[in-house]
Amino acid sequence: MSTAEVPVSNVLTSRAVKAGLVGGVVGVYVAAIGLVQRFDGRNAITGLISLGYVLYVAIALGTGFLASRKVRTLDDPGAPTTANIFVTGAIAGAVSGLFMVPFIWVIGQFEVRETFVNVSSALHDILTFEKGTGFAAMAWPLGGLALGALGAGFHPLVPRYRRPLLAGLLVVLFLSLMEPLVRVMLSDINKNVFAQVNLDIDEGWLYESGGMTIIGAVVIFAIAVAFTFRRFQKAEARLVALGGGPAPEEAEQTPLRRKISLGLLIVGLLILPQVVGSFPSEIIGVVGLYVLLGIGLNIVVGFAGMLDLGYVAFYAVGAYSVGILTSPASPLFAPQLSFWVALPIVLVITTIAGILIGAPVLRLRGDYLAIVTLGFGEMIRVIVQSDWASPMLGGAQGLLRVPAPPFFGGELRDPQAIYYLILACVLLVAFVAYRVKSSRIGRAWNAMREDEQVAESMGISIIKTKLLAFGLGAALASFGGMIFAAKIGSLFPNTFLLIVSINVLAIIVLGGMGSIPGVVVGAFVLVGIPEVLREFGEYRLLFYGLLLMVIMILRPEGVLPDVRRKRELHEAELEDEVLLAAAAVGGGALPGGARS
Amino acid sequence: MSLLEVTGMMKHFGGVKAVDGVDFTANEGEILAIIGPNGAGKTTVFNILTGFYTPDEGTMSFDGNSLIGLLPNQVTALGISRTFQAVRLFANMTVLENAMVGQHCRTHWGIFGAVLGLPAERKEEKEIETKARDCLRFFGKRLTGPREDELASALSYADRRRLEIARAMATEPKLLLLDEPAAGFTPKEKEEIVELIGRLRDERGYAIIIIEHDMPVVKNVSDRVIALDYGKKIAEGTYNEVASNERVIEAYLGARHKESA
Repeated sequence: MSTAEVPVSNVLTSRAVKAGLVGGVVGVYVAAIGLVQRFDGRNAITGLISLGYVLYVAIALGTGFLASRKVRTLDDPGAPTTANIFVTGAIAGAVSGLFMVPFIWVIGQFEVRETFVNVSSALHDILTFEKGTGFAAMAWPLGGLALGALGAGFHPLVPRYRRPLLAGLLVVLFLSLMEPLVRVMLSDINKNVFAQVNLDIDEGWLYESGGMTIIGAVVIFAIAVAFTFRRFQKAEARLVALGGGPAPEEAEQTPLRRKISLGLLIVGLLILPQVVGSFPSEIIGVVGLYVLLGIGLNIVVGFAGMLDLGYVAFYAVGAYSVGILTSPASPLFAPQLSFWVALPIVLVITTIAGILIGAPVLRLRGDYLAIVTLGFGEMIRVIVQSDWASPMLGGAQGLLRVPAPPFFGGELRDPQAIYYLILACVLLVAFVAYRVKSSRIGRAWNAMREDEQVAESMGISIIKTKLLAFGLGAALASFGGMIFAAKIGSLFPNTFLLIVSINVLAIIVLGGMGSIPGVVVGAFVLVGIPEVLREFGEYRLLFYGLLLMVIMILRPEGVLPDVRRKRELHEAELEDEVLLAAAAVGGGALPGGARS
Repeated sequence: MSLLEVTGMMKHFGGVKAVDGVDFTANEGEILAIIGPNGAGKTTVFNILTGFYTPDEGTMSFDGNSLIGLLPNQVTALGISRTFQAVRLFANMTVLENAMVGQHCRTHWGIFGAVLGLPAERKEEKEIETKARDCLRFFGKRLTGPREDELASALSYADRRRLEIARAMATEPKLLLLDEPAAGFTPKEKEEIVELIGRLRDERGYAIIIIEHDMPVVKNVSDRVIALDYGKKIAEGTYNEVASNERVIEAYLGARHKESA
């Protein structure tokens, strides 16, 4: 132990300092770009802490946690002791706090606003807790020390306690961030549901002046912890029962329980817009449109393995087709069909558009395909804006007065009504994708994704299979476009930007390639949350990038991966272990090459 | 009439004459071995036959159809199936799915059938599964039972080679092209593959063309042997005839004929 102890503490100290410096840089960065000041305007827990300080608490906790994680090398110089871990976390936290001190001093002494527009005296006040630079110079390192140690404290905790604790913190943070949305939802639920039975439970117990109440935070935290703890216990029991083997997910769900939960889910989905009110329904609607696009793109990228960056083209074709067919204001050709008559026609049009765009790129793969499809995506918008197409499509002035879908005398325009149309389409599109995935065509896509040449020599027509993917992907995307046109009522070329394609791609990467539930999760995270957090709009892309990076590092298969992908990555780990073991024994029987 | 007739097959890559005017035939129920030193053009012959390359000159007819200008999938549909020198499975599909892919060209239901769940489509899926299982069963326990649902990448090297053959079998070929099926095998596995190739012919009725470097395997498995060197056919006949041919010994086996274990 005496020989091993020195290297362990050496490794840990250097890592603590490094992590502390990184934490410090992040701390200065978020202050310099104005994030702290903006966040400080919002309470996390009213009367206790603002979101700005939550940011720093999170940085310090994270620094301590990351600095003290287990050393994983083949020649592990011995496991760090619990004391080691706490000291490492504390050092890291203190270093990150210390890093802030000169920054605070500089912005207090000098006027740097010329260069750093966000560095104001208000920021200085926040960072010194309005108690002067001297106090800040003490408070930051000491606070960092304490929080860093606390962050490191997550390691010695067994997962059974760590997971629930983490879940509790995250849920509280999430709910305080989502205050604008949840607040409206709660007040609507009070109005729509509780008022019916003469109850008056408004949102006052949970939120107060933009943040959570202390009582609300404690209650939510307790509920989240208890719930996660219970789930974890069950999972553990199941693992033990199976003798440590991996537990199949559905094992504990009896058919009856499944049916009941499915039924509850359907009822929940049906009454959702009535319960939560108009504003949340609007957001759910936008998320739903992206789910439609995501499932469609998943066919092209996730199933068939073709990286399409111009997917917005099909969204646009769907939207404009329905616009031309239904709007009385369509400049050149205005048959003024009903939405429902136009729908099958548009499906045919977009399928053909998908095949037409797919045909020239049949021979391209990977990056080349991505670049060409990117071009196609832009072309559609440029064509709509062009002098040639403007008289037909309205150009930059837009294609206006697209009518809402008529429905039994009324029409589906307000968010709560169009929600049902979106829901129906999502279910339909998900069903189609799910069925096709496990069919003969799905297998062919899968094979083509794995090895195009071999798939071809196994009798799969690459031309036909690729065009099927493009055609179906385009048709599914057109559902999104059609509903978008009917919902908004006017179409402008600048709606169909490259960023839409990128968003949809990010959604399926985040959710998990080839996974249909993953698309739903991805759309909620990447579209729903930013819709709610509009006040932090300018920082949207920053979080976007950060989130994608974190996901790619921690869970490269996505949040809710396709079973196959999960196994693929998992088995790679297993294989590595086997190889390492084989290397350790010194006898890896590798297949010999052919002689001549 | 022969099942496959190739005359004057020629393929040049720039100045390299990979295949330079080769004639050969393959008959029904026959196992033909193609031997030759590295770079003799053996795999190129396979790539031309299966439509990966178009020959510069020559004719190829299979079962009464010309193979010239056909895409690989069309060749497979006519009844020629192959394995690859370096095993190329669909690594992230299960063993059963790999074999099921082979059935693709013998079946026809598409997106609409699958979405609507038509009884006929269901029935076809069942048949695909049954036929794929049947091909896997040819290799005994190695590819059946719980193995069916393993990923192809989880199989041992020898089982990957076996699965590649099973996948080729699932396309219901008349002619099977095996590219070095015994490469990297242990002596015991080689014995087994010899027996297996014999059974493929006897039980399944395939004509087989095999590229192989291992002389004992060639000796035990083949009815007829042709030897290639620098893209040209230099000998043809039974194993003994070819093995004692002067040009073959010179070109391929070296000055003195040695049989490596």
